[in-house]
Amino acid sequence: MISEKLMHTKIITTFHHKEFSTPLIGITGGKGGVGKTTVAVNIACSIAAKGYRVAMVDADVDAPNAAILMGLKLELPETVSSMIPIFDNARCVRCAKCIAVCRRNAILMPIDSIPMLIGECNGCEACTLVCPSEAITKGSKPVGRTWMTTAGNITLYTGELLTGSEESSFVVTALRERAAKDAENFDIIIVDTAPGTHCNVINALRGVDMAYAVTEPTPLGAHDLELIMKAMGIFEIKTRIILNRSDLPGRPVEIHNIASTHHTFVMESIPMHESIEKSYAEGKPVISAFPESPTANIFLKIADSIIKEHIR
Amino acid sequence: MASATVKGEHMKLCVTSTDSRLDSKVDQRFGRAPYFIIVDTETMSTESVKNEAITAEQGAGIKAAQTVCNRSADAVLTGFLGPKAFNALVSSKIKIFENVSSDDTVREAVEKFKTGAYKETPADSIKPRRGHH
Repeated sequence: MISEKLMHTKIITTFHHKEFSTPLIGITGGKGGVGKTTVAVNIACSIAAKGYRVAMVDADVDAPNAAILMGLKLELPETVSSMIPIFDNARCVRCAKCIAVCRRNAILMPIDSIPMLIGECNGCEACTLVCPSEAITKGSKPVGRTWMTTAGNITLYTGELLTGSEESSFVVTALRERAAKDAENFDIIIVDTAPGTHCNVINALRGVDMAYAVTEPTPLGAHDLELIMKAMGIFEIKTRIILNRSDLPGRPVEIHNIASTHHTFVMESIPMHESIEKSYAEGKPVISAFPESPTANIFLKIADSIIKEHIR
Repeated sequence: MASATVKGEHMKLCVTSTDSRLDSKVDQRFGRAPYFIIVDTETMSTESVKNEAITAEQGAGIKAAQTVCNRSADAVLTGFLGPKAFNALVSSKIKIFENVSSDDTVREAVEKFKTGAYKETPADSIKPRRGHH
């Protein structure tokens, strides 16, 4: 029996394993709508503007939108598939073990026939493992798509779940793998996660050298920052905080307090400025639409700090 | 499989029920009904089956259909079937009767059924409400 402590150590080691040497950072933050993607896109473009090759991974596959903010038209689609069981009439002994093991109750065995897939399969493959007669072969069904779009120094990896599919984790994993395959072509890989602290956020952050949690100085921003910081703590992910819309009439002190509770700090505050609203409305990164703006300067500063910390 | 028509013919009818007896109130749900009462419409002999699918996180309708199928029921009488349970029963060639009155006991529902009060739902029926949840 493996001890809980050893189990935790193993999970953390596996979680932090990265199959390439290129620096990998995550942009996350818990709350939705705080400007995670805007911040991620502008950081990516700022690093690229300084001459580095950047991969930007939009891991919010339920609502991908980095391409819109970057003004890119998606290219090079690839299909993401999930395993589904195919039952072999000749081999099936109708033992019903596949039905018992299916956590989704997706398999039905009518009284006079072999089992059939009738519900929503999540591709766990448990049925193929319990089948005593090798009657189940692995088929596949499309669940999503990924794209790879290059513009200058930046390559955007983005994915989308097909309508009606439930398993966004497949698309996140496929996206991760597609970027990892090309990792050596980049100086840094930036992963922008979905909001929340659910498994797709955690999955997207596998192997990151550091996470940057974007938040805002509102009660909701503080509440959700606390949640993501706890999640980062559990997975032992080193995390810094970026305070967006820092001059909102909220309570920035609470954000700083959460930072120190979790032994980190607010690395940068980004006040509101018309340049960011205008560039957002135009569908362009602020650093290309308004390169002289104070906001663009802040992103260039964040880029410098990330380059110093991770690339050089 | 025994062929069965609606009126006067002998069949094993599965009624979704709130409890385990013939005099329990019917349950309009299928996948989440606590019991299935399988009634021989000729002899009125009954078999009460606990619905293990009631606690299923997902696919309760399919799991419940499997239970009904394993007991060789010819037809199901319930309130309303979701899309997955509907497909599962159709695939198992089990006849479907919906819109059972929630005021009735299982016994009363079966008596009404025997008079031909319920119409069989065609296997190819797509009701607006049956759409994906």
